[in-house]
Amino acid sequence: MGNHHRQGARLRGLLRGSSRKLGTPQIMLSAVILVVLAVFVVVPVIRIVVDTFVWQSGDVRLSREAQPGAFTLFHWGRVFHSPLTPHLLTTPLVNSILVGVATSALSLALGGLLAWFVVRTDMPFRRATGALAVVPYMIPSYSLALAWLTLFKNQRIGGTAGLFQYLTGIAPPDWVAYGFLPTVVVLSLHYYPFVFLLISNALTSVDMSLEESAEVLGAPRSLVLRRITLPVVLPAVLSGFILTFSRAIGTFGTPYFLGSPVRFFTLPTMIYSNIGMRFNSTANVLVLVLILFSSILVFVSQKVVGVRRSFVTISGKGFRRKPVQLGKWRYLALAISATVVLLAAVLPLILLFWQSVMEYAGTYSFSNFTSAFWLAPAGTRLTEGEPGLLRNPEILRAAWNSVRLSATAALVAAVLGSLIGYVVVKGRGTLVSKTIEQVSFLPYLIPSIAFGAIYLNVFIREWGPIPSLYGTFLLLVLTCVFRNLPFATRSGVSTMMQVSGELEEAAQTFGAGWFYRFRRVVFPLTIRGMIAGFSLVFMTTMRELSLIILLVTPQTRTLTTMTMRYQEQGFVQFANAITVILVVISVIGVWAMRKLGGQSQSGGD
Amino acid sequence: MRVKSIGSLILAFLIAGWVVGLAGGQKIDEATRAWLEQVKVGPYLEPTLYELALTEREVTIYSYSSRVHQFGATFEARYPGIKVNAFDMDSGEILTKVLAEQRAGKFSADVIFLKDPAAVIAELYEPGYVFNYIPPDIKHLLPAEYREPLLVHHISLDVFIYNTEVYESSPIKNIWDLTRPEWQGKFLMPDPLVTTEYIEVLATIVQHAADMATAYEEAFGESLVLSPGVENAGYEWIKRVLQNGAVIVRSTDDVSNAVGAPGQVHPPVGLTAFSRLRDKEKNPQLAFDVAYGVKPVLGVEHQVVVAVVNRAPHPNAAKLLIQWMMGDDYGGWGYAPYHVFGNWPTRVDVLAPSGVPALAELAYWNTDAEFVWDEYGKIVDFWTLNR
Repeated sequence: MGNHHRQGARLRGLLRGSSRKLGTPQIMLSAVILVVLAVFVVVPVIRIVVDTFVWQSGDVRLSREAQPGAFTLFHWGRVFHSPLTPHLLTTPLVNSILVGVATSALSLALGGLLAWFVVRTDMPFRRATGALAVVPYMIPSYSLALAWLTLFKNQRIGGTAGLFQYLTGIAPPDWVAYGFLPTVVVLSLHYYPFVFLLISNALTSVDMSLEESAEVLGAPRSLVLRRITLPVVLPAVLSGFILTFSRAIGTFGTPYFLGSPVRFFTLPTMIYSNIGMRFNSTANVLVLVLILFSSILVFVSQKVVGVRRSFVTISGKGFRRKPVQLGKWRYLALAISATVVLLAAVLPLILLFWQSVMEYAGTYSFSNFTSAFWLAPAGTRLTEGEPGLLRNPEILRAAWNSVRLSATAALVAAVLGSLIGYVVVKGRGTLVSKTIEQVSFLPYLIPSIAFGAIYLNVFIREWGPIPSLYGTFLLLVLTCVFRNLPFATRSGVSTMMQVSGELEEAAQTFGAGWFYRFRRVVFPLTIRGMIAGFSLVFMTTMRELSLIILLVTPQTRTLTTMTMRYQEQGFVQFANAITVILVVISVIGVWAMRKLGGQSQSGGD
Repeated sequence: MRVKSIGSLILAFLIAGWVVGLAGGQKIDEATRAWLEQVKVGPYLEPTLYELALTEREVTIYSYSSRVHQFGATFEARYPGIKVNAFDMDSGEILTKVLAEQRAGKFSADVIFLKDPAAVIAELYEPGYVFNYIPPDIKHLLPAEYREPLLVHHISLDVFIYNTEVYESSPIKNIWDLTRPEWQGKFLMPDPLVTTEYIEVLATIVQHAADMATAYEEAFGESLVLSPGVENAGYEWIKRVLQNGAVIVRSTDDVSNAVGAPGQVHPPVGLTAFSRLRDKEKNPQLAFDVAYGVKPVLGVEHQVVVAVVNRAPHPNAAKLLIQWMMGDDYGGWGYAPYHVFGNWPTRVDVLAPSGVPALAELAYWNTDAEFVWDEYGKIVDFWTLNR
């Protein structure tokens, strides 16, 4: 933190009251961002809206009157006013919202608590906890759902009973094994890293002297927490809530997997199945409903927190950090953290790895061990001739493609997200700022399979000055960037809000140009936020499948597309082994970025 | 690199033949030479499909099955100089992609290989986005119903299965047994709205409503009384199965793993793909088998079709690849990845793998692409309303 201190010493006492107005570079930057968002976000969304009013070629199956290409209100009628409405819309929507609210509440609790333990207390094993805390997001939530069933399944769906019943002899009731409860728990264990990353990042940047002064003045710790710590991390809490809620109501795999045995269906189930049957217009109406509900949420939460009530905590003054002494509570904190991290990260990973070294899937014994799926040479009988993954050049190529795609997309998104965060915060209150913030969030609400299909249909043609991007690596990158941009913009916005305007203004007074200011003042101060954004986009893109499946070419196949291949052939071992490789690459990527970030931060004064 | 050396051997023969043809002592003037070249006589031969394909250098196939990589590799070995660009994705995704390409005039796919013939015929074949190609050498080996409108590569069955550890023979004799109280919550099937080939299965059951009504009488000894608003015995079966707590799971392996898991007291029965029997090789603990004798039929067929795409950039390579996929004229390796338990070849000269009953011995229903297409929306809505 030496740089803060030096900066503090240099800048302290300099002009504070300069007017905050939009400079020309900001206006230029806003204009460029608006154009980019128009092309890559607004046009695709308009495409969705238009499609809902048009008969598609597959709709002939729904109505004899369908005339592909012609205008119709049929799809809106089908969703909002037909005997199907309760099954297609109302019940699934209510289920989705309940899952969304419960999941974000639990994620906030888990993520917030862990972030505070790791950043602010003297809990033992803080570094290890901090490193492991984001791992659950790298593991497909599907694996976690499977782990849940391994523990709690009852005889409802046939097969062998879960571990719980095996050990206790008591069959878990359906509501424990399937449906709402397990969905919420599994999704929370999967998504709390959003909250953890954003809050721990905010807590790291907060000047602790605020809290210390309050304590010196005799405020009890709970009051300090409530009145000082909480308010200053509020933007991060809000961002975490929005990201978690939107993902939780929009996610398909886990709610479907755990819900369908008890016929607990959510809105994404209906969207995915309608897309799968190629009733795209019906699906698009439901997508718009999803977008509407999440937009309302974003809007309301923005009102509640109010950008004006944000707290500047990265000021020109240097600060010292002294951890909160938990005393004997340290061990309780450790127990909570360890439980979460073990359940959500370590256990699923061990299971995944174990399942990749089994000769026969499903038999957990040492005599069933084989390394064939990792190391066997080509021609091995057990693997039906496929070489082990580490000897398979195709896997290595796919791994390289995954890394290349994720790193590029994450880098572009992080930079773009930071710039967006900058113009949103600098122009706060203006219409431009609000528009940029809202629009950049839209793609996140569109289910990935729908997003991929729209990008295919929009960018397959030449389009003004933009050539057809179909079949290019660039299109893959753009798809992943814009779909995941909110990760970067949310962390961009929450970090920028903490940065004091006085720093940049000081530099401005010394005659520093805008680019110089951004590069030498704003950028170094917000690098933490960028790293958080980068990490989230990187981890998400590594696991992306349905988003890019329509756009990949044989030369750009990624690791996840290989998992699909092995799953279809019934090679759970290969599929699990690839998942392990994905997690390992994600861990390395995120770790490397942190190291890099740490260096550039200390060297970037 | 044996193949390469065979290739060069053939090439050597060709060159030798050419040299002999020219230097064979015949006196040929320029006009005769031009005539020979025109009618492909003497030293001039018709170019083979391979020679034509060689000038195209590559072929692009969109395949529903990841085994495309296996027959792609054997194709590249058999026909050096032609590279296979293999995309594997869902049948629905192939449709979406081809529709987008054709509408935008971006012709990149040569061959498509996928399920759901109903949609392929209605959405791709009828508008002229794909065309049929029957390799001439094997045309006489294909029954007419597998040649038109699109070439059927192989067929597979969706069948009812039971647990063989608990039951010596199938505990259900008739698929109406699934509506009895003792099977409440004990029947698993993949979600037709997600694994959409089961819409074909349901539609085929609806199409055979009369047989379903007869089967009901056989099972219950009385004639079937339809619920209000229900059209026929097929729909009635769907409704009653759902009412009886059918468990909807995601995919065919969820069904077979649940039915076949060892150590169960009252294992369920299920509807799944015949080819899941192959999983027993990968996991010998699984104990399940097909309920072969169940009435009215043991299951429903579905077809996998292959077609050439409109304006395919590599048409000759496309034809050569289809020929290879069908096992070409001397039973090459192209079909091998599909010569497995649960698939039946459409060629009359290729037998199903050993241990698999011949199709003729099995009582199953064929799918009717046109009926499936017309009934699709109704099935989906009926299912959504009643589940």
